[in-house]
Amino acid sequence: MEIYLPIAEMSVHWLILLGMGAAVGFLSGMFGVGGGFLLTPLLIFYGIPAEVAVATTASHLTASSISGAIAQWRRRVVDFKMAGVMIVGGVAGTVGGVQLLTLLRRVGQADLVVSFAYVLLLGIIGGLMLRESLAAVRATREGTPVPPVHERHNWVHGLPFKMRFRQSRLYISVLPPIALGVIVGILSAIMGVGGGFIVVPAMIYILRMPTGVVMGTSLLQIVFVTATTTILQSVSNFSVDIMLAFFLILGGVVGAQYGVRMASRMRGEELRLLLAVIVLAVALRLLWGLVATPSDIYSVGTGGA
Amino acid sequence: MRAMLAGALCLLAAMPVRAEDLVSGLSQDQVQITSNYAGTDIVVFGAIESTDTNASAGQRDVVVVVRGPDADFMVRRKVRVAGLWINRDKTTLYGLPGYYYAASTRPLPEIASADTLKRYQLGLNALQPKSASTRQPAKAEPFRLAAIRSRARARLYAEAPHGVEFLGYSLFRVRVPVPAAVPRGQYNVEVYLFRDGNVISAQTTPLYIEQIGLERRIFHLAHDLPFEYGFVTVLMAGLLGWGSSLLFRRSA
Repeated sequence: MEIYLPIAEMSVHWLILLGMGAAVGFLSGMFGVGGGFLLTPLLIFYGIPAEVAVATTASHLTASSISGAIAQWRRRVVDFKMAGVMIVGGVAGTVGGVQLLTLLRRVGQADLVVSFAYVLLLGIIGGLMLRESLAAVRATREGTPVPPVHERHNWVHGLPFKMRFRQSRLYISVLPPIALGVIVGILSAIMGVGGGFIVVPAMIYILRMPTGVVMGTSLLQIVFVTATTTILQSVSNFSVDIMLAFFLILGGVVGAQYGVRMASRMRGEELRLLLAVIVLAVALRLLWGLVATPSDIYSVGTGGA
Repeated sequence: MRAMLAGALCLLAAMPVRAEDLVSGLSQDQVQITSNYAGTDIVVFGAIESTDTNASAGQRDVVVVVRGPDADFMVRRKVRVAGLWINRDKTTLYGLPGYYYAASTRPLPEIASADTLKRYQLGLNALQPKSASTRQPAKAEPFRLAAIRSRARARLYAEAPHGVEFLGYSLFRVRVPVPAAVPRGQYNVEVYLFRDGNVISAQTTPLYIEQIGLERRIFHLAHDLPFEYGFVTVLMAGLLGWGSSLLFRRSA
C-alpha cells in the first residue's frame, strides 16, 4: 500500500520505508552508531527531498538509539557521566550547526560542503579503523595478546579540568568529550547523522574508553543530540515528516534489537573491521558523486532567494 | 461540477453567436490527497458547438493546458574545479507553474505560429517565467531550459502532442495524469479552440488539489505549531524505541 508523506509531499510504499528502517536499525544496534550516514543518503537516493531526509533521519536516530541504549543499559555498559558531559557540548553544537546550514544554503554550497565533509571524515575514520582492526584480527588469529587500548597514554591525558569516569575507568580532562559533543552536534544538524561514526572511534582511539562501554554511551549521547536536532529542524525548516519518521522508526527499533543481539555474539575487532568496510564504502560512493560528471550540470530547487 | 457546467452553458448562451464555440468540463473539480494517494488521472472533456455546418473538421484544433500554482525556481549551474563539480552560477526564475500539462490534437508548432503559442504560453517551448533574477534573456535561457528539464524528469511538466482524443465530430476528451508529487493549490484547466492558427474560443476552469484528513492536519500542525510538532515527533520516537525494548525483553 502506498502512503502519502505530508511534508515530503510524495507517495511511497510503506514496506520500503519499513525495510530501510530495519536495515539501518540493525547496524545501529550492532555497532552503536546511529546509522544516519547510511539512512540519509538512502532516503535522498529514493527521492525524498534532501532537507526532509536530513531532518527526519534525526528522529529515526532518536528512536533506534533509545532502543539500543536501553538494551546496552541492561548489560550495565553505559557511562552516564561521560554521556552527560558530551550532551552539553552536543546541544551547543546543534544550535550552531543549524545556523551554519542556513548560511551554506544561502550561498548554494550546502551540498558540496556536506558531501566533502562526509568523504573526508568517513575516509579518515574508516581508514584508521580498517588498519587497527585488521591488525587486531591478525593478532588474535596468531594468538599474540594485544595490549588493551585504554591503558596507553596520549596527549589527552595532559589537559586540565580532569574528571573521574568510573564506568570507563578513566581520569581525564572534560575538554575532549565536550569538544567531541560540539562537533557531533554540528554534524547532526548539517548531515542528519547522529555522529556515532565519529564518536565511537574517537571514544576508542582518543579518549581511550573500553570498547564495551563505548556502544551504550555513544547511543545515549545520540538520543539527546538527535532529539534536539529534530525539534530545531522542525522549528526552523518545517522539514520533519512525522509519517516518514513513523515507518522508519517502526522498522528501526525492531532491527536495532536484533543488531544488539548479533553484536554480543561477535568479537569487538571483527565488529570494527565490518564497520570500517561499510564506512569506507559510503565514503567512496559520495566521492564518486562529487567527481563524476553529473547527468545534468544544472540543479533546480524550488523557492527563490 | 454540474453547476459549473450549467454556468458555462448559460455564459455561452449569453455570448454573441459565433460559428463555433466551446464547452468543457472536468471529471472532478477537486483532487483530494489522502494517505494512500499515489497519483490519479483527471479527464477533461468538451464539445465544439458548431452553427456553421459547412465548417470542415480538418482545420480546427483543440489545445488543453493544465497549469499548477506558480512557484519560484532557483537554478544553479555546476562547473568542474580541481576535479570536483561545484555550483557556480545561479539564476532565480520567478513565477513558473508548479505543474504544466499541454495536450493537443496535433504537435503545437503545426497548430499555430510561435508567436501565438508564446502569447498563450502553450507548450514547454513557450513556457516563460514571469521574471528572472537576470535581465538578459540570453543569459536566463539555459537556466529556463534546465528548470523545464528538471520538472519534466519529475513528470510535473509534460506535453502530449496527440493527447486530445476526438470521439466523433464534436466531442473530445483528454486524460491528464496527476502524479503523486504534485504541488497543492489552485490549478487552471484551459481549453483553446483553434481555427487556422487562431484562437477562436477559450475556456478556463479551476481545479483544486488539496490535502485532506490526517495529512492536512499534520501539514498544518507542522507549520503552525512547529515546536510542538517537533516535540511530538521526538516523543513518538522515544515511546516507540522504549516500547520495543520492553516488548523484546519479554519475548527474549
